[in-house]
Amino acid sequence: MQAKGLQGETEVMFVGIDIGSRAAKGVALSGDILLCSTVLDSGVHPGKTGQLVLEDLLTQSGKKKSDIKFIVGTGYGRVSLPFVDSTLTELSCHAAGAHFLNEDIRTVIDIGGQDSKVIRLDEDGNMLDFIMNDKCAAGTGRFMEVAAKALEIALGDLSSTAGKSVCPCEVTSMCAVFAESEVISLLASGQKPSDIAAGLHRSFARRVGAMAKRIGINGEVAFVGGVAKNEDLGRLICEYLEVNFVRLSIDPQIVGALGAAVVAQRSV
Amino acid sequence: MEFEVTESIQDVHTNLALQLEMAKDGGKKVVGCLCSYSPTELILAANAIPVGLCGSTQEPIAKAEEILSADQCPKVKATFGRAIGGTCPLFPLADCIISETTCDGRKKMYELLERYVPMQVMDLPQKPEEPAAFDHWLSEVEKAKCFLEKQLDVIITDEDLARGIRMMNEQRKLMTRIHYSRKQSPSPISGLDFANITSKLNYYVDHEDYLNLLSAFAQELEERNAKNIHASGVEGPRILWTGLGNSLGCNKVLRLVEESGGIVVCSEGCGGVTRTEDLADETLPPLEAIAQRYLRVTCACMTPNTQRFEDLERLCADFDIDGVIDLAWQFCQPFEIESYRVRELVRDKLGLPFLHVTTDYSAQDEGQLKVRIEGFMEQIEASKQRTRKTVENESRRISA
Ligand code: SF4
Ligand code: SF4
Repeated sequence: MQAKGLQGETEVMFVGIDIGSRAAKGVALSGDILLCSTVLDSGVHPGKTGQLVLEDLLTQSGKKKSDIKFIVGTGYGRVSLPFVDSTLTELSCHAAGAHFLNEDIRTVIDIGGQDSKVIRLDEDGNMLDFIMNDKCAAGTGRFMEVAAKALEIALGDLSSTAGKSVCPCEVTSMCAVFAESEVISLLASGQKPSDIAAGLHRSFARRVGAMAKRIGINGEVAFVGGVAKNEDLGRLICEYLEVNFVRLSIDPQIVGALGAAVVAQRSV
Repeated sequence: MEFEVTESIQDVHTNLALQLEMAKDGGKKVVGCLCSYSPTELILAANAIPVGLCGSTQEPIAKAEEILSADQCPKVKATFGRAIGGTCPLFPLADCIISETTCDGRKKMYELLERYVPMQVMDLPQKPEEPAAFDHWLSEVEKAKCFLEKQLDVIITDEDLARGIRMMNEQRKLMTRIHYSRKQSPSPISGLDFANITSKLNYYVDHEDYLNLLSAFAQELEERNAKNIHASGVEGPRILWTGLGNSLGCNKVLRLVEESGGIVVCSEGCGGVTRTEDLADETLPPLEAIAQRYLRVTCACMTPNTQRFEDLERLCADFDIDGVIDLAWQFCQPFEIESYRVRELVRDKLGLPFLHVTTDYSAQDEGQLKVRIEGFMEQIEASKQRTRKTVENESRRISA
């Protein structure tokens, strides 16, 4: 995404880089304006990927390295970024990013590659409380990947496939290790991929929803992270929690990187 | 940071098995304990040496899983594995073991452990406030006394019991002083050093020497406070530790907390101050005093366990706490469920940042734990800023 006609108008910029387990995200910010953003594969060397993210942001914005006033790194790979000025966990960054997009947001649900979290924030965008999934992959993007692979459909098509379901099946296993065999046996018993996908979404939504209820939901709720692109899942989580997610003006996957850039801007 | 007592503790600790063996050669008996409900007074009254046999490291777990299913808490598995694996030098030295029916995992594991060593499993009533609970527990304490008399071939008189009570109370008073030295801000000792030293301090051969060691440690900490020697220059968030995982060997989370800038200054629960500040009443008939003291232990296996919450509230204020971490071992139902009430108390009533962590003894989740813990430190920082802001606004309002 690129803000049109804004290149060069603002002098300085602030950068947030979020290296997750699956994807590396970067956002360049100047005042209230999101200059540009990028999403790359995390790759095996978070340090190198971070460098690529930074270069991509510079190319897109047409700016020089010296125009960057502050860089904040976040995500699992944040410790491997030698060029950042400071680091912060993705928890605080998601809170800051969501607050930047909509000041009424008080709850953020973030589902990434290897974990899911629910974050509560105050009226200034500070983190008040959070909860994360336990150490297994249930309720994470990793689980969705395994499920999509077993169904032999692309991860990005899970949502539309599930949308075609008439009668979602009951999926009991939320464990990434067992999901594969469960999906395969459901397919073998003649269930339609759409019904299986819908069933998977349903139990996934219940799990994340229950976790959110444990710390309590209030105010406007945002759904972010790579998995938030899955609309069918988002709809089911909303149903479970009896809320509507706020509409975000940007890709939900880059909210953490945006938050890092917001914090970078606040740091000088 | 180096403490003078470490050397003497190290001495006891590294040669413990050997020293126990020598004591046994000299006619002493050794009795194993597995939990905070084991009435140590009885063991001291029998002139025997109590030794903790609870498992707190990862390594014996594989052995235990040959018999127990993998979905038991690490404490149950490590304790069992340590006992049957042949790797623990202390276990074979125990003449017998005193244990209690606390949680289901322990209780059922004891049925198997009993095959390896003579054991008395005391039936612990789990609604301690029920009027009938005390009488029942008193009779269990009496049975445990008879068990020891038989196993160790001794007679335990009321005088012996009174002596056991005095010895334990002395020990508790010193331990409490040690815990309370951390009330000072900044604290004289890091939580990690504290856990390391106090876990080792659980072992002794001679009780008299032991009291001297405790007293030296208490004094050292108090001197540090007087001379303003602190664990760290600028003190990070002061953390209260509650739940499990308060000892050496399973201190992964504690280490991560202090690596992320926090400092654990108070611990509640087993290994913590609430297990030491409660004394047995020296004015009561000794057996009754012992029974009463142990029925007051605030483990999550009790219901409704209200005292734990009162203690937490008091300690948060006394130790000037910035945030509370509550740890439960994976598959531990009592502490996992009780955590909901701890969160309600800490977050909603006391308004303090709260983090619940579920983990095991292995190192495999360190990456994920790190995010949580660093995030928690950020949350505490934000909460402190918020308080500062409110205070400023308030004073501005008043002066305006
Ligand atoms: S937590 Fe409960 S069961 Fe475990 S050692 Fe302490 S008192 Fe015993
Ligand atoms: S109380 Fe929990 S941690 Fe302790 S032995 Fe029982 S199940 Fe394990």
